[in-house]
Amino acid sequence: MAKENQLLEEITGSEYKYGFSSDIETETAPKGLNEDTVRFISAKKNEPEWMLASRLKAFRYWLTLEEPRHWAHIQYPVIDFQDIIYYAAPKRPKELKSLDEVDPELLRTFEKLGISLEEQKRLSGVQSTIAIDAVIDSVSVKTTFKETLAEKGIIFCSFSEAVQEHPELVKQYMGSVVPYTDNYYAALNAAVFSDGSFCYIPKGVRCPMELSTYFRINTSGTGQFERTLIIADEGAYVSYLEGCTAPMRDENQLHAAVVEIIAHKNGEVKYSTVQNWYPGDKQGKGGIYNFVTKRGICLGDNSKISWTQVETGSAITWKYPSVILKGNNSVGEFYSVAVTNNYQQADTGTKMTHLGKNTRSTIVSKGISAGFSNNSYRGLVRIAKGATGARNHSQCDSLLMGDKCGAHTFPYIEIKDKSAIVEHEATTSKIGEDQIFYCNQRGIPTEKAVALIVNGYCKEVLNQLPMEFAVEAQKLLTVSLEGSVG
Amino acid sequence: MHMLSIKNLRAGIADKEILKGFNLEVKPGEVHAIMGPNGSGKSTLANVLAGRSDYSVTDGEVKFNGKDLLELSPEDRAREGLFLAFQYPVEIPGVSNINFLKTALAEIRQYRGLAPMEAKDFLKLIKEKQALVELQGTLANRSVNEGFSGGEKKRNEIFQMAVLEPTLSILDETDSGLDIDALRIVANGVNKLRSKDRSFVVITHYQRLLDYIVPDFVHVMFDGKIVKSGTKELALELEEKGYDWIRKEQGEKIEA
Amino acid sequence: MSTIAEKINTGEKLLPSLEKEQDLLSGSEAIRVIRRKGVDSFSKQGLPARKSEEYKYSPVSLLFKPELALRAPIQSPVLKTRDIDSYRIPQLDAYQITLVNGFFSPELSALQLEDGMISVSSLSTIPAPLVPLFTKHFGNYASIHADPFTALNTAVFADVLFISIPEKKLLDKPIQILNIIHADSPVLISPRILIHVGKGASVQIIENYIYTGKSSQVVSNALTEIVVEEGSRALFYKIQDHCTDLNLISTTQVLQKTGSHFDTHTVTLSGKWIRNNLNIVPDGEHCETHLNGLFILNGAQHTDNHTLVDHRKPNCESNQLYRGILDDKSTGVFNGKIYVRPDAQKTNAYQSSKNMLLSDEASMNTKPQLEIYADDVKCSHGSSTGQIDEDALFYLRARGLSIDSARALLMLAFARDVVNTIRIDALRTEVERLIEKRLTK
Repeated sequence: MAKENQLLEEITGSEYKYGFSSDIETETAPKGLNEDTVRFISAKKNEPEWMLASRLKAFRYWLTLEEPRHWAHIQYPVIDFQDIIYYAAPKRPKELKSLDEVDPELLRTFEKLGISLEEQKRLSGVQSTIAIDAVIDSVSVKTTFKETLAEKGIIFCSFSEAVQEHPELVKQYMGSVVPYTDNYYAALNAAVFSDGSFCYIPKGVRCPMELSTYFRINTSGTGQFERTLIIADEGAYVSYLEGCTAPMRDENQLHAAVVEIIAHKNGEVKYSTVQNWYPGDKQGKGGIYNFVTKRGICLGDNSKISWTQVETGSAITWKYPSVILKGNNSVGEFYSVAVTNNYQQADTGTKMTHLGKNTRSTIVSKGISAGFSNNSYRGLVRIAKGATGARNHSQCDSLLMGDKCGAHTFPYIEIKDKSAIVEHEATTSKIGEDQIFYCNQRGIPTEKAVALIVNGYCKEVLNQLPMEFAVEAQKLLTVSLEGSVG
Repeated sequence: MHMLSIKNLRAGIADKEILKGFNLEVKPGEVHAIMGPNGSGKSTLANVLAGRSDYSVTDGEVKFNGKDLLELSPEDRAREGLFLAFQYPVEIPGVSNINFLKTALAEIRQYRGLAPMEAKDFLKLIKEKQALVELQGTLANRSVNEGFSGGEKKRNEIFQMAVLEPTLSILDETDSGLDIDALRIVANGVNKLRSKDRSFVVITHYQRLLDYIVPDFVHVMFDGKIVKSGTKELALELEEKGYDWIRKEQGEKIEA
Repeated sequence: MSTIAEKINTGEKLLPSLEKEQDLLSGSEAIRVIRRKGVDSFSKQGLPARKSEEYKYSPVSLLFKPELALRAPIQSPVLKTRDIDSYRIPQLDAYQITLVNGFFSPELSALQLEDGMISVSSLSTIPAPLVPLFTKHFGNYASIHADPFTALNTAVFADVLFISIPEKKLLDKPIQILNIIHADSPVLISPRILIHVGKGASVQIIENYIYTGKSSQVVSNALTEIVVEEGSRALFYKIQDHCTDLNLISTTQVLQKTGSHFDTHTVTLSGKWIRNNLNIVPDGEHCETHLNGLFILNGAQHTDNHTLVDHRKPNCESNQLYRGILDDKSTGVFNGKIYVRPDAQKTNAYQSSKNMLLSDEASMNTKPQLEIYADDVKCSHGSSTGQIDEDALFYLRARGLSIDSARALLMLAFARDVVNTIRIDALRTEVERLIEKRLTK
């Protein structure tokens, strides 16, 4: 025991790799939030009247709400919503004719992050093709492969562009899965969201490449409120990836995003996230508050939505990617790895709402807590009356590293149909000393042994990720847990 | 020159002394069998040599190829060429045998100043060694020991030994729980690895294994030390008479 | 998401009568002080609001109608020994204690205690040498701040049944408590029990909940505190059978000292609306705890089992095993929480909750929680909800069983996981008989 603690304290943690900030010329809204802020954002984006009206409606509703503070297993100081900048955008010419017009510092920023915005280049060493929408602070700076995708009728662009170019789709789907009345941060997002990605895959089209959005918070004092909308029309398929980083700062920055997914009949959306927002330093100073609402609806029969997330960053993570299984025979999946170290807090899980007949859902959650962190799984499986033949299997495992952290499981299971079969299993354990010694005896040092064991423990989830993401995620897991041998 | 030299080793767990002045010298190429009744300290010896932190050494010295073994971390002992085939190999879910061995081999090679093995060569090596212990290809791709039968686990230990090519292998009751076929396979694997540079310490309760792995020396361990040494005939004598006569002899000695 | 200012204290309407009741209830000054604290705490908390996490699946607002009185019209209803004979368990030889509307009734009890055996008393008859023991433990474990019903019971309990098992006493036969509620009009009854199991003692207790009234608006808010001293062993069986139409909140707070063993069974077969709170605190090393529960519901029955095992010290083990069968429009809840505090290393805690839904109108809500703050622990929970195994059903029918008896057989087998752990033979036989009666239509 004493030896473990010693090890724990001795080995220093690794540095956050993406903690640099870039000196990009930025245009920001004045600090604070009122109707003028909302109007300012809307005007900046040259939005149509209906969009502004929708924002204002959400804002007015938000004013009537109380900040939710008590139900999740997280603790943080009161957020001063008047002390946040709600809009920050890299300055740029009105119309981008080519990549050359993008601020070179911005390009360098993305290069440093290992992301190339030039179409001929790929993510380092990666062979498959990925189309990327790069979002910095409040705006999308570049979407690659737009034309290639357009040939198939696929729309992949920034949300702002979608508002201008495809207002009918935005009007039809925005808020249809996560209405502004859904929760406090969804209302806030609906009022002040700045940008994000929009994808529409038309009937019968299988998207030929992975679509990806890379989110980067850069400017100090800003909040990031992006909004993503993904629609798979009948028989369409898309795999969508999301990555994110932020500079190291002493302050806590708020990230309150909304993601909505709609899968029509026979449609399928696979959504993968590697969340690596700045987690704060070893003393728990700084870091991103990641308060996100992600939800998909399997609208049509035989549709499928699959969430995979690897959560290693953020000071606080508070999100529950969910699926409403409305269509008959539809499938919802949630695969999650959440790692917390130092003073990080995560309260994450999913909601699977079974409405249609013969709907199936799978939940696999792997929590790893180290340092002084707290890691909670919170999930809901609801089988509505009439959802005959519904099935759910949930597996929630927690791994504890060190004796100063906490691992918690809060599953809610509500069953109103007798034909449902719902199984839930959860375990909590520590990393096995026997396993570490076994590795040592084969020449593998303890740090590496822990990484090996943890990656093995998370394999079921990592296997769900596209290849290049899986490699990245494995590295991240290792880095996040450095210095937490227990 | 001795490969392993253990002098007056005293060690135990918590306050209980288990090894009470243990001595053993092993030269390159030799196979030593250590036999003894349950509780005589055989497994403790294996664990102390491998560096398990639950055990504390209170006296004595252990030299391995001239180095002070007890000063080394468990992984450095492995990298120096000491291999323990565990009595109870642990399961590591989600970590494939192949990946595990690749990591281990890379660490050992790096320690010895060798470049990592090319993927192609590594796979060739795996294939070759797998055949040695008649391990099926699918087992190598499965998670380390997860869902393996008792016999598969033991064969997997020998497979790992074959891949990592240690200079000194300690086999801790590798024969326990093996049926005769598995025993033969395990022993064959070991025999094929025998060479003039490689030594083995085979810890066993039964003589049976020694029919297949013929030792150069047989030692009888009792109450934390070696009380009798001889050649392979000693093992046969033990098989015939059981451990009671040793116990009696020792008892008499203590009384006298 | 809650909107601002939705704070309706549904308990407020009870406050005036709670106040009035303070002067009417008897008891020493110390008891009055305890009740006063209960009133104050309840007035702060009120009844659980609609969004209260702890009462999410069991809203209480419908139970507390304005016409709810705080005392039964007649304090000791005219019950004769023969009236309660039918509640005795066949073949069970026990020390039998009867409570009527929370008052200990020696006349209706069958104790025949010898000296030094055990002590059974009511608030006004506690033997002088035991007063310090009573004062030390009474009201010390069930926190009035943690649950409004604990506060409410503390505010208006009229009597206390105090059972003390002396040190090293190994009781030769079980104690059976008949907790009878007898009222025909809407009333809140607050039975209160304190059981002290001395060091190294061993005892088995069966508590039967019985309702003999006609109103469906009677609420019994029962609170039992049990102290299981060092090295002692207590088996505690709660049988909720003869209580059709009763609304019952039954809270059991248990403190376990070093090396003690506590086993409990909660068997619910009848009752209109039942909430069982079972809070166990193993507050010493090497404690062993088993919580078993079985509920078989039909009609519009509602049963909510809340368990909490709060591991505070190292090297303890707890095991929870719950089974539920729900038919018709019944609703069931299982909310089990395992809490492992930072000091409680080497805790082994398990929980299993399985439920079977027989009807489309029935529903089951499960919330098995783990809150773990120590790393060297083994904790797990498993929960499943499903229906009768159709393959097994078919198999039995193919062997000539009628569909009804095949179903009954399978359900019995399902319930048997829990029933088999009942260690009093006569009780196990009786529970089996009751279940069989319930399941064979």
